[in-house]
Amino acid sequence: MRALAFSFPAMLLAAGVAFAQPKDTLIVDLPGDVATMDPHLQWDTESYTVYRNIFDNLVTRDVSGKIVPQVATGWRYTDNTTIVFDLRSDILFQDGSKLTAEDVAFSVRRIINPALKSPQLSQFDQIISADVTGPAQVTLRTKTPYPALMAQLVKLSIVPKAYVEKIGDQKFNQEPIGSGPYKLRTWQRGVQSVLDSNDSYWRVKPPFAHVTFRAVPDIPTRIADLRTGRADITRGLTPDDAEALKGDKSLQVMPVATERVAYMFINALAGPTKDKRVRQAIAMGVDRDTIITALQQGYAKPVNVVLTPANFGYIADIPGWKFDPVAARALVKQAGAEGATVELLTSPAYDRRLNEAIQQMLGEIGLKVTITMTDQPSFLRRRQGSPEEAGALSQGRWSCACQDADGVIFPLFRSGSIWSKFNNPAFDAEVDAARTILDATQRLVHYRRAFEILREEVPGVGLFQDNAIYLARKELKWIPTANEAFFVTEMTWQK
Amino acid sequence: MPELKSRLLQALIAIFGVLTIVFFIMRLSGDPTLLLVPDGATAEQIAALRHVLGFDRPLLVQYGAYLLDLARLDLGQSLVQHAPVAGIVAERIPYTMALAGGALLVALGVGLPAGLAMAVWRGTWLERALAGFVLAGQSLPTFWSGLLMILFFGVYLGWLPTSGSDDLASLVMPSVALGAITMSSFARMTRIAVLDELSRDYVAAGRARGLSYGAVILRHVLRNAAIPVVTIAALEVGNLLAGAVIVETVFAWPGIGQLAIQSIASRDFLVVQTIVLFVSMVYISMNLLADLAYGVIDPRIRRDR
Repeated sequence: MRALAFSFPAMLLAAGVAFAQPKDTLIVDLPGDVATMDPHLQWDTESYTVYRNIFDNLVTRDVSGKIVPQVATGWRYTDNTTIVFDLRSDILFQDGSKLTAEDVAFSVRRIINPALKSPQLSQFDQIISADVTGPAQVTLRTKTPYPALMAQLVKLSIVPKAYVEKIGDQKFNQEPIGSGPYKLRTWQRGVQSVLDSNDSYWRVKPPFAHVTFRAVPDIPTRIADLRTGRADITRGLTPDDAEALKGDKSLQVMPVATERVAYMFINALAGPTKDKRVRQAIAMGVDRDTIITALQQGYAKPVNVVLTPANFGYIADIPGWKFDPVAARALVKQAGAEGATVELLTSPAYDRRLNEAIQQMLGEIGLKVTITMTDQPSFLRRRQGSPEEAGALSQGRWSCACQDADGVIFPLFRSGSIWSKFNNPAFDAEVDAARTILDATQRLVHYRRAFEILREEVPGVGLFQDNAIYLARKELKWIPTANEAFFVTEMTWQK
Repeated sequence: MPELKSRLLQALIAIFGVLTIVFFIMRLSGDPTLLLVPDGATAEQIAALRHVLGFDRPLLVQYGAYLLDLARLDLGQSLVQHAPVAGIVAERIPYTMALAGGALLVALGVGLPAGLAMAVWRGTWLERALAGFVLAGQSLPTFWSGLLMILFFGVYLGWLPTSGSDDLASLVMPSVALGAITMSSFARMTRIAVLDELSRDYVAAGRARGLSYGAVILRHVLRNAAIPVVTIAALEVGNLLAGAVIVETVFAWPGIGQLAIQSIASRDFLVVQTIVLFVSMVYISMNLLADLAYGVIDPRIRRDR
């Protein structure tokens, strides 16, 4: 046993600091460990939650979701594919060096360089160049006019060029330095990351001297940590957990509607669902209100299209299909599909109860749903494969992390996309147009027509706008946001 | 020593076999590229990342490259964490060793006396009570019993930390949860082995020589009963490593079990392969040790060989 104590002295030290002064230290229980501290590599929720507190972004979103300046003070298009950013010149990195236009240009070039092997590349590969064009100015060029550019840049962390080049990518991932409100003190893989406040931070005074992000995979264990005060906030609760915790006086359940849309994919190119009437019947046969009240315990909002109000391009007044099992049954009969077998493809990543509810509901309208469960990579391989192997139905939760319709209905339904099992030239024309013009009003006109086509053709049904559910100690004051950002500077502690 | 040599050779072949099977099974169900890219990446973008990661090469070429690296003792880079695999796994091993050690301590400390008591006081109320205890240890699933312990000792009584790996107190509940099944195996094996020995003539002979019952058991019975128990102990180390997967997840204990689950889910192939390599080496060497230990405990086995 002495060997154990001997092998973890650093950990004991960290724990001692963490628990001696609870007001100084915010303790966050995350479902997992950070994959990479380098913000240009992994972007899973855990990594994202931690490193975004270490770095500043070129632009950011305010609480209402509007894109506002951060490192950039302003921006303007000089032509359809060229955008000029003016930058602050009073920002320091945590090693004391100044954040310059060189650092911003370097950060863009770094993430779009395929040699970095960044999984985030596809979000930035519309950018073809980043050049320093003035003492505090950077100019970006895109392949085509690209309206989602600003939404993507919300996620671009600015890294220090000189430091990264000096220590190399591998070491930078272990010992990152940013210009954000917190700096990394220790990262014990699989255990926790401890951040210290950056007291010379330019924007605000960080509210906690230290923040500890612990890796606690099991939800009940995280809840137990919150109940005993071992942690102050956690995320990833299910609606059932949230309901069960409502009576706890020392805790608060904090749900927030996200940009993640729960939807059901319907294969329009193969099988019984190739018939439009069957797809429309399915849309009428799914009782979304019951799904929201019974399965989501009310932690969801109904949507009429496959998009959420948190995304640009959401058209609120397009009617959804009303729940009407009688009409649906008649339509199935009319299409001669009564008793037809439809395969619902799924993986353990998706809510099993929702699959079973859909199976039951579609059984009522005369379709025999068989559920095929595989592991996630096998599921993705089939779902993204040819229409014949993609199954008739599957549920999904989609977030482009860009809050724009272009990141949702384009990959989901544009013909030729790996997700799309739908082929409609009129729809393609609308979404193609909407992604290459910068004018917001014009884009909305295209998206209205696109959603009208989707409503009629039903290659998918929007089910609900998903909630992210946080659980925190009562004293924590914070308003979670739709893009699931976890900025510690937005939080305060009130006894 | 030719005996030992052939055993070592067998062990090497077994490890190689396990590695090969894991290599191909992991790849049967797809590579991690699809899990790494954002929703909405195009087919070209996915293909480009797959190429950069090297998963577009034929399987046999990937396998050859892996073996070549292994021969140079290079365990490679984690696809997900962008860091050397050797370090990622090595950092977690002390945690699992501490947990397995704690569990073994619980299992031996409770299981051996319980088994002995069940044999010596056979047919009494004590045996029946202990049998119920052993059955509970064997049949309660750890993801459930672990949670109950967290709620009772952590939340309700507040005696022990609900999660983490900060100090020795954090090790108590995971060790008990993990050790429970092994404890039951020890108790049952000890009971059977001791009962078996108690019916032997030397017990009566010892008593006839005027030795007390307790002395006969301590000096003679236990020594003879040890052989099957040692075998079980060696095999149980394998079970402990397997059980650690669940226990480490429930208690947020950062060992290789938790790492294995996460790496399998994210298809971080090289990390999974390295964990399997390590676990199979431990398992095989424990069996080897058990074989060698027989000779020490019982000289007859040594001579038979």
